[in-house]
Amino acid sequence: MNENAGPGARQNADGYFLRAEGITKIYSDGTVALKEATLEIHPREIIGLLGENGAGKTTLTKILSGLLPPSHGRVVSPRGPVRFANPREALDFGIGMVHQHFALVGTFTATENVALSHEKPFSRIRLAKTRERLEALMEESGLRVPLDVPVEKLAVGEQQRVEILKVLSRDVQLLILDEPTSVLTPLEVDELFALLRKLKEKGTSVILITHKLKEVQSITDRIIVLRHGEMVGDVRTAEATAERLAQLMVGKTLDGAPTAVELSAEQLPRVLSATRKKGSSGEGILHVIDLVARGNTGELAVNGVTFDVHGGEIFGIAGVEGNGQSELVECLTGLRVPVAGTATIRGKNILGKDPRQIYRLGVAHVPEDRWRLGLVLPFTLAENAILGVHRWKEFQGPFGILRRGKVNQHVRELMNRFDIQATGPNAPAKSLSGGNQQKLIVGRELAKDPAIVVASQPTRGLDIGAARYIRDLLIEMRDNGRAILLVSADLDEVLALADRLAIMYEGQFMTLCRPDSLNREQIGMLMGGVACKEVA
Amino acid sequence: MTENPVRESRLLRGVHRTVTGLHPALESLVAAIVGLLIGALLMYIWGFDPWKAYWALLRGAYGGSYEWASSLARGTPLILTALTFAICVRAGMFNIGAEGQTMIGAMAAVCVALFAAPTGLHLVIGLVFAAVAGALWSVVPAVLRVTRGVSEVISTIMFNWIGRWLALYLAIYVIVDPMRAEKTLTVPVTARFPILVRGTDLSASIFVAVGVALLVYFLLWHTTMGYEVRAAGLNPTAARYGGIRNKRTMIISFLLGGAAAGLAGATMAMGLPPSYAIFGGGGLPELTNLGFDGMAVAMVGRNHPIGILMAAVFFGGLNAGGRVMQFYGSNPVPLEMIRVVMGAIVLALAIPELIRLFPAIKRQGERLFAVLRRRRETRSKEGEA
Repeated sequence: MNENAGPGARQNADGYFLRAEGITKIYSDGTVALKEATLEIHPREIIGLLGENGAGKTTLTKILSGLLPPSHGRVVSPRGPVRFANPREALDFGIGMVHQHFALVGTFTATENVALSHEKPFSRIRLAKTRERLEALMEESGLRVPLDVPVEKLAVGEQQRVEILKVLSRDVQLLILDEPTSVLTPLEVDELFALLRKLKEKGTSVILITHKLKEVQSITDRIIVLRHGEMVGDVRTAEATAERLAQLMVGKTLDGAPTAVELSAEQLPRVLSATRKKGSSGEGILHVIDLVARGNTGELAVNGVTFDVHGGEIFGIAGVEGNGQSELVECLTGLRVPVAGTATIRGKNILGKDPRQIYRLGVAHVPEDRWRLGLVLPFTLAENAILGVHRWKEFQGPFGILRRGKVNQHVRELMNRFDIQATGPNAPAKSLSGGNQQKLIVGRELAKDPAIVVASQPTRGLDIGAARYIRDLLIEMRDNGRAILLVSADLDEVLALADRLAIMYEGQFMTLCRPDSLNREQIGMLMGGVACKEVA
Repeated sequence: MTENPVRESRLLRGVHRTVTGLHPALESLVAAIVGLLIGALLMYIWGFDPWKAYWALLRGAYGGSYEWASSLARGTPLILTALTFAICVRAGMFNIGAEGQTMIGAMAAVCVALFAAPTGLHLVIGLVFAAVAGALWSVVPAVLRVTRGVSEVISTIMFNWIGRWLALYLAIYVIVDPMRAEKTLTVPVTARFPILVRGTDLSASIFVAVGVALLVYFLLWHTTMGYEVRAAGLNPTAARYGGIRNKRTMIISFLLGGAAAGLAGATMAMGLPPSYAIFGGGGLPELTNLGFDGMAVAMVGRNHPIGILMAAVFFGGLNAGGRVMQFYGSNPVPLEMIRVVMGAIVLALAIPELIRLFPAIKRQGERLFAVLRRRRETRSKEGEA
């Protein structure tokens, strides 16, 4: 597998700072997050850790920084094996990690936050000393943050710098950054990279977790690619091309790059049980023009997206999570008000309408987060099965009386039709397994007899059987002439299901095409933000 | 419904989740025993005989028809104020304002003394007055929450004070009995609840309280409106996804809750012999703490209408029996000690529901904290300027 594992091995044995040997991580639920990962980290080196969602990047770095113990394998330093019981021990050894979600006390100043991170329980906080140290450090690294302002008032980029300072003030030899650029503006990214280069000159190693190909190519010395928990590549950046990286990231075959369709056919048994038929494009149902929407922190999450979805087709949106897909779906289902653009369903405007009004236009929505959005967990199966349709005449009698008999009958039908395993209509939704919860949501939405189904990560976290079943249902809906908008981070799923495909990156569609017009390597590059033309 | 494998009686729908996993009634029984034991221990330490004291409590609460009647009479307004809190909790809100809503409701009910009407109708008019006044008093904080994001905990507590002083003002200066300045006008006979057990305080107002409890149960679990209220209370995000307008459910829950609290005031004004009036002298003694005790009843009753009915009988019993403990034969327990013992019992009983509500309480706390911090920041900015 590791035909490119050379660079590390070629180095002199005592040249390394840290070596991970055969690290395997199996979570308590049986998920194998990491399989036999072996890597060496040398001083003065910036390593890019590349991979899709769930490839094991974060797990690997969490093990290196003492947050998680490995199931098998060991971490070795030139002085012998090391074992970190917690991040503090790793920090003492010289390994610090900056997480995607910052660990800062919002009401404390930068100085206070750093001082807090240094102290052992019951020791005195030495603010003046910390401040001195920080000022020296800022001088040295060129990293500037306001020290006397509560960090919650700082911009996200500044908060990140506080986090980095926090770690640097412990004299770390290895700095791990988890998706550091996802929250930064382009200018801030440049500043961060300049800082990383400076750190490298001073002898610090950096591990940079990312899924953006361009970034990883511009800053790193070596790139390690993970896929489904396996290390599939360890290449020098100078020797790596975008195609090569994309191929490694999204999957490769030995004989050349297959087209998406060939590959999805090979993967079909995992993804689908029905044979794939070409969708026949019917009337246009959903039209979206130049949609712009802000995310929760005010960033431009969706930045000018135009597409339409027809009856009888599945329109797939692929891409690494967090590139605006969630916000796009929320705009189309009434959960978020966009900044600009238009969106219509069968000619009627849907932007700014509340979900109730949008459902009336024939929209069904399978939400990405079934616990937060899709279900009221303490409610019973029956009560959950009518969420959103509870005001239908079928379920609501005179004076708004809930017709529990009808509701129970409806649930039984859903349970039979969609194979929902539960003790009965009055079982709490919490007691159902994830697969059955999802079947309940999908069943409820499909039973609305919708004109368009917006399905967001419909099979996330499900076992193969349940996932396949839900995909089959989507295909069936499509064959019945419904429009399906499928948003999924599972590339195999989108490729197998979609009749037309868009790849979303940083709020925009990189491409909009038929899935068989691209090969996987091109798709991988587009997901990483490298446009095809630039490569070809 | 018969093959329903989840063992749960129909009426107790909505309380299936208990902290210990026991049946809710069993869990409450265990909690009550723990509370009684703690109370007994306290009394023992301070040299009182717990057995005799509890015997007095039991006799005083449920020893005979007179005692039962007194207990039920004391429980009646608490049923209504507990419903106020419970409805709003089910909608995901904390309505601490039953106290003020009750007082305003009582004043509105006393207003029936200003005009004449036939027996029965007069009573109904009084009830409607009280319910509407309570609902209007309660809806202001809800509207503030919905439109301006004002924490309903803070605003309802503030409205308690406004309501209290307004009621006191009305009782002393406006609807005051011109012959007896310490109390309001007397509610005319045509608008009084009939006494059910001669010689006791138990009036037909208990039917109103029980009726409202059953109505609330029906509204919450058998109408689409109640479904929306409960969904919004349990998971506001999912409710929004399900096309439920959360602002609407907030307002509805406060209207209903305020109406119940107003009716609690009416039961005191129109159903409390012998005065059938509210005393302004002494600061509205009949009405004070009804709202807060109602919150305890709601917790013990697990914020469920049927549970509240049972809890109110228990609370009424504690109140009625507690008096007897003070002067029972060889073992008189001072009032302060009785309060301590009752506190222990009530707290033990409320703990399961408090634990269940803890995440919601924590969220509220965080909201409040955020508000206070904003205030502090604005102040410091003003200071700089």
